[in-house]
Amino acid sequence: MTTTPDPLKPNLAETTGPHVQVVETEAAVERRSKEAYFTASQGQLIWARFKKQRSAMIAACVLAFLILSGIFAPFLSPYDPTIAGKNDDYLNGAPQIPMFCDSNGCSLRPFVHGVERERSLATNFRWVTTINEDERNYVYFFVEGWEYKLFGFIPMDTHLFGTQEGFVHVFGTDASGKDIFSRTFHAIWTSLQVGTIGVFIAFVLALVIGGVSGYYGGWIDSVLQMITDAVRTVPAIPLFMAVAAFMPPEMTAEQRFFYISLILGLIGWPTLARRVRTHLLTERNQEYVLAAQLCGASSGHVIRRHLLPSFTSYIIVDLVISFPYMVLSETALSFIGLGLKDPVNSLGVMLQNVTSADVLLNYQWYFIPVIFFIALVMAFVFVGDGLRDAADPYSDANK
Amino acid sequence: MLNFARFVLTRAVLAMITLIIVSLVVFSLMELVPGDCAERYLAFKNTQGSGISVADIENERVRLGLDRPFLERWGKWIVGAFQGEFGDSCILRVNIAQLLGDKFWISLGLCLASLMLAYAIAVPVGIIAAASHNAVLNNSLRLFSYLGLAMPNFLLALMIMLFSTVYFGDTLTGLFSAEFRDADWSWARVMDLLSNAWLPIFILGWSATAFALQTVRALMSDEIGKLYVTAAEARGVHGRKLLWNYPARHALGPIVNSLGFDLNRIFNELPIVALILTLTEAGALLIEALARSNDQQLAGAIIFLLTASIVTLNFLTDVMLAVLDPRVRKSIVR
Repeated sequence: MTTTPDPLKPNLAETTGPHVQVVETEAAVERRSKEAYFTASQGQLIWARFKKQRSAMIAACVLAFLILSGIFAPFLSPYDPTIAGKNDDYLNGAPQIPMFCDSNGCSLRPFVHGVERERSLATNFRWVTTINEDERNYVYFFVEGWEYKLFGFIPMDTHLFGTQEGFVHVFGTDASGKDIFSRTFHAIWTSLQVGTIGVFIAFVLALVIGGVSGYYGGWIDSVLQMITDAVRTVPAIPLFMAVAAFMPPEMTAEQRFFYISLILGLIGWPTLARRVRTHLLTERNQEYVLAAQLCGASSGHVIRRHLLPSFTSYIIVDLVISFPYMVLSETALSFIGLGLKDPVNSLGVMLQNVTSADVLLNYQWYFIPVIFFIALVMAFVFVGDGLRDAADPYSDANK
Repeated sequence: MLNFARFVLTRAVLAMITLIIVSLVVFSLMELVPGDCAERYLAFKNTQGSGISVADIENERVRLGLDRPFLERWGKWIVGAFQGEFGDSCILRVNIAQLLGDKFWISLGLCLASLMLAYAIAVPVGIIAAASHNAVLNNSLRLFSYLGLAMPNFLLALMIMLFSTVYFGDTLTGLFSAEFRDADWSWARVMDLLSNAWLPIFILGWSATAFALQTVRALMSDEIGKLYVTAAEARGVHGRKLLWNYPARHALGPIVNSLGFDLNRIFNELPIVALILTLTEAGALLIEALARSNDQQLAGAIIFLLTASIVTLNFLTDVMLAVLDPRVRKSIVR
């Protein structure tokens, strides 16, 4: 007797018989999952393996959260992160935690106390900031504040939270009264942008140089490898510093930003180029490529259908892994004053003045953004690592 | 033996070629700086009140040899560089070799000490971690390794400073106590250096340790799973002897090979850590030269020297590996 096999449930007919309603025996379920495994695309396989790694999944969530908060930075920040949004009454101000109760009683809506800065005979003619316990600045959600352009083109002036009167500084303020909370999120966005541009430039260079090297082989490969190795030997950050030092000082902040990203990309390519070359060289000599060639596949077909798919996942992983290095290099450069400058916000810019004893002793909230940056870099590293394990088809066999 | 000599010679030539390419990169960078030495010299004179003309600058260029073609000047620079002679700094008007003096050796010493510290920690801990199946130990090591990457050394230095100022009231900075800063070398000065140097050494070694740990652990876990280890175990070798004599010896090669890149990583952090901890050595001079005075001669010399020490270390590890590892030795002495 012949049965017409259902394309969606092959082999089930044999295990359960033609007249029986489909009963999912354990064997059938297992077989089906195997079936799904063998017919799944590479993307599905990587995703399935990635999902199994708890630490990588947590990191991916953290990363998604940070990226989103970077994209929506202007919406999240109650104040303009540049000098335009400074609070003149609260310089080097400590973080203000919104509270519900004070000595005057409680309220359902959280509030912070108002501050006043005065210089008079009573304060010995020094600027002294006092907290006015009687003034309550209530914190509201979705308040109107400074104007910005969401995604760069939607003009808006609504912010997640803020006060009607006075200011609220959740992470405190810096020496010129700028809100550290607002600056932190803008800095995350800057770092993501610098990293993306830098990685992209490095990637294009690496693809061209590594591709030529791996494709032609022979003496071209030897010469290119020698140059790549020589560039790789030079310590990167001193080299970054040397290149960055030549920026004309009259550059605007935006020009500096692109110049720094360009430098990061121009110096960051050797490691990636080497990986591209190695991938190309090993994959080119694989048996499945030989098999395809023996079956009469054209070289175009081999490259499109066999080499590229074997390759893209690794390259994406490499890009994710090299991303935090770009971010950290930018931070280091800006920190020593050779990278970005005010009014562009980045972690390095924010940390520029923290080595002074004054800050170390009195204004420790300058260090709050560091936590976010460690989280950002850690998330990238964990996700990159998880992706690498997931993209490696033999990672299961090793465990 | 003859083969071995030939191997060493080839490696030396390769190292030389690398250095020459590097010197070309560094020298071209120096040339890219807007303004040259002649202008700097005369700009100084200008501030002293004497007027200068374009002809003066041209004369100064001829005097300094800046009118020669690029390749000729590069050739001259590289020949000098290999003799440890880098000419004069245009800004500070001092001989660079004299200016760097033992500052460079102090930096190199600090970096090598951190490298040793990194491997002194990483090799035993990495081997133990790979051999044991303790999930807590392995996961905490993994976290530590990632932290080593995510928290760059300069942030660590900042954090340590933050805590030491808050809790001890001391920033723990500097390399020498005040009375030894400009003294001649003596036993007391060396001891003073050592008593201050532990913090920079620890901070510089921090991320290198994290990386080395990961390398050692990965290499060891690869080797431990292999059949020859199981075979040795079946023959009755066990415990520490099994670990050290079988997988550890195989993992040794790649570890020795990675030394050069770890030194590179440490050099990366050197200038910034030097800035934070106010160390007075070559890293700080580099920042000074680049960020403050735009002194391309000095900066080029320092970058070249740093790279030269990495290339030298790579060369030494190659030779060392050929001596230590019978497989490499066999492949040379065919």
